[in-house]
Amino acid sequence: MSHTPDTHAEPAGFNPLAGITAIILPGAGHVVRGERQRGLLIGGGILGLFFGGMLIGGIDVVDSEEDFPWFIAQSLVGPLAFGVDYVHQHYFKVLAVVEQVTPDGQRMLIETRRSAYPREVRDEHGKPTPAASPTDPPPNTKSLSKTNELGTLFGTIAGMLNVIAVVDAAFPTARRRIAKPAANTAGAREAVKA
Amino acid sequence: MNTFLSTLTIAGASLPELLMAYRPFLDPLPLQRAWYLLLFPLCLGIAVTYKAVRVPDMRRYWRDVAIFTTQLVLSVVVVGGLMFWVVLWVLPRIVPMPA
Repeated sequence: MSHTPDTHAEPAGFNPLAGITAIILPGAGHVVRGERQRGLLIGGGILGLFFGGMLIGGIDVVDSEEDFPWFIAQSLVGPLAFGVDYVHQHYFKVLAVVEQVTPDGQRMLIETRRSAYPREVRDEHGKPTPAASPTDPPPNTKSLSKTNELGTLFGTIAGMLNVIAVVDAAFPTARRRIAKPAANTAGAREAVKA
Repeated sequence: MNTFLSTLTIAGASLPELLMAYRPFLDPLPLQRAWYLLLFPLCLGIAVTYKAVRVPDMRRYWRDVAIFTTQLVLSVVVVGGLMFWVVLWVLPRIVPMPA
């Protein structure tokens, strides 16, 4: 074997429009750049992972208040992640009053958002109320253990992959496959002798 | 098959009962005991996205996705096996636990 084919990506400038559209919607940057098939596959992969995570663990896996470190990575999916988190916080969680002890030992009541318990429903003001019937489900079910971990992980990986896609959209490369001569092969040594 | 389906029961509820109560995107899937199956869609999703960015020739795309998915799944299985071996075989010999 005298040549080793290698992928060589040559920089091809900076495309701010593609970068911005890639941040707004995963894969859109490549579509704007004219690489429609590539953009659709990137978008399908990232959104598939993000919504796949929600399918596994429910909307509970996107939670900027209870799982903030994970949400940092999930937010890299773009405005969609912030939208899902907003819907989760404001339309599914309940506003509950909890007692908190301050560092100086004083007890105070504060209003905080939490997931509804199994036999609770959400009233029109967002407060938790006992379900009228045992079969009335809560707005959403809090996921636990493996399903929560894996659902969260799916969304987190989707966000991190979107960073790669945004960089690739904003700083396009030629992606040429060129032949790179191998340094230490019989063919190369013969070429040097000749 | 029945054995596999029986792993998908939680708190005595059968799979059909769990699926009837399941609301997509609101409730978690009843996969607490078969969670490792989610490794395949996870690796496939990573491969679909990464190879869409990486491959120079889209005609080879799905072939590269299949290869990369297999590599990812096998890598995770091998690393998982190594960790299992270290924790359950190596560590007890290095640091014996009191009886």
